Amino acid sequence: MYRPQMPLWKRILMGTAMVIATIWLIFPFYWAVITSLKKPADVFKLSFIPFLQFQPTLDNWRTELTLRTREVFGGLSNSFIIAVSAAAIALVIGTLAGYGLARFRYHRWKNKDIAMWILSQRFLPPAATVIPFFLMMRKLGLVDTRLGLIIVNVTFTIPFTVMILRDAFGELPIELEESALVDGCSPFQTLIWIALPLVAPALGSAAIISFAFTWNEFLFAFILTYSRATPMTVVIAGTQDTQGVQFWYVSTRMLMAVIPPTILAMAIQRYIVRGLTLGAVKG
Amino acid sequence: MARKPADRDRSRIFFIAPAVLWLLAFTLFPLLYSLYLSLHGSRFLRVTHFVGLENYRMVLADYRFWQAFRVTLIFVAVGVTATTVLGLLLALLFNHPIRGIRVFRTLSTIPLFTAPVAIGYLCMIIFYEEGGPINNFLLTLGMNGINWISDPFWAKVAVAFADTWQWTPFAFLVLLAALQAVPDELYEAAALDTVSSWQTFVHITLPMIRPALVTVILLRTVEAFKIFDIAFSLTNGGPGLATRTLTFNVYTTGLRDQNLGEATAIAFLLVILMLSVTFVFFRIYRSQYE
Repeated sequence: MYRPQMPLWKRILMGTAMVIATIWLIFPFYWAVITSLKKPADVFKLSFIPFLQFQPTLDNWRTELTLRTREVFGGLSNSFIIAVSAAAIALVIGTLAGYGLARFRYHRWKNKDIAMWILSQRFLPPAATVIPFFLMMRKLGLVDTRLGLIIVNVTFTIPFTVMILRDAFGELPIELEESALVDGCSPFQTLIWIALPLVAPALGSAAIISFAFTWNEFLFAFILTYSRATPMTVVIAGTQDTQGVQFWYVSTRMLMAVIPPTILAMAIQRYIVRGLTLGAVKG
Repeated sequence: MARKPADRDRSRIFFIAPAVLWLLAFTLFPLLYSLYLSLHGSRFLRVTHFVGLENYRMVLADYRFWQAFRVTLIFVAVGVTATTVLGLLLALLFNHPIRGIRVFRTLSTIPLFTAPVAIGYLCMIIFYEEGGPINNFLLTLGMNGINWISDPFWAKVAVAFADTWQWTPFAFLVLLAALQAVPDELYEAAALDTVSSWQTFVHITLPMIRPALVTVILLRTVEAFKIFDIAFSLTNGGPGLATRTLTFNVYTTGLRDQNLGEATAIAFLLVILMLSVTFVFFRIYRSQYE
């Protein structure tokens, strides 16, 4: 970075801007946290600081975690199982395709065309396939099953895993793999024993991005599940009952839904830009 | 590589096959099925007979379609502009070795990895008209509260706000990465020539980050066309049809009203709209791969 001397006023201005931007980022979550700690009577008052402005309570959390275990833990475990399985399958498919695109040359279809075709999945609005998916899943008996949602989400996250791993393999020096091939390894063995361990960070990032996108998916989950397989996103939406929206419960559920993917995402800072732009911008 | 070409020929196809087959089965097939459905009538979620373009005719004559069309375009235009401009400003502002930038960068990934449906509910709590923090704050200032959810205009503002809040960090992170990749020598040379900072921006910074900027705008546009979750959770498409996007209409027509033909026709019109955008996308974007 180019570092000209920054005058004091500029540094103060920048510090202020950063504080404002941070509050802007954090405020909604902070508000959700304190709402989840408020008694229903306190929710609609403008009070920010627990103990000073209102008496915090763990009642909402207790109700959610002890009385509504079926909904909450069911939702969390469904989300978890669906997201982990979808990420695992997308990772296997993405590793193979990423390696293929980085290391071989395809003729009937050019590598570029295959990559673009895979990428174009991300550009298709999910609404375009939601109706046929619903009918297909009904025919296959996969409505309200985790397997149904796993299939959906693998489809949505394949472009991420393929592009991230294609770039990661492409950046490896090819000599190691060539010598393994000379030594009689098959291309598949070369991938598994030589190349794969070297792209571990990219594998981790691809897995986390797939996990997070699956965890956060709502449209298909909402349409394809209604009781046994409902993931957390659908459970949040279900807090809205006949008594109107109970903000104190919504907040607890929302926080439970938000924490896993965001914590994981913080672990892959280096890959976020590259991952989210599908490799177009190297971060 | 050392292997015989014919040998590799056979094995290399297995690397690419799972991805290609998966997308054929779960993207291309549903898309074609969707096309088929849009040309047929249906009753109780069952396909009846071929009706040609009748579904499209019905959809295009329906004011609800045009309303959703307008709402979608508004969200795309506002969302893309707001996130790109805000993200660029933040990136330019924080493209300095200042304390706390690492923490800030880490924090700014949070909205990106938060479920949009959760953001909708977060914002619903904040925008709540009777006792939400914003309106309470306005009241303490002696102003009237704003009807964030029940007024057609402000409901759109609320949804666009939530969407912008989620995606501004995306623009910020990508553009910051691009800015940091600009070689220092360029700025040093400009500083030696005592060029004004505006000129430096226009003639050096902007051309250097142009590919990243294009990427941000186009990826953001693609995502904005998909808006559903936030509008569903924050305003439930309302008041009336004020925040119903095209995706929302596909859902209501297809699964609430169980009209498969018209729902898939709407979906296809959305695809055509997107295709025209992605066509531009591919033409510009392609040069950035390879």
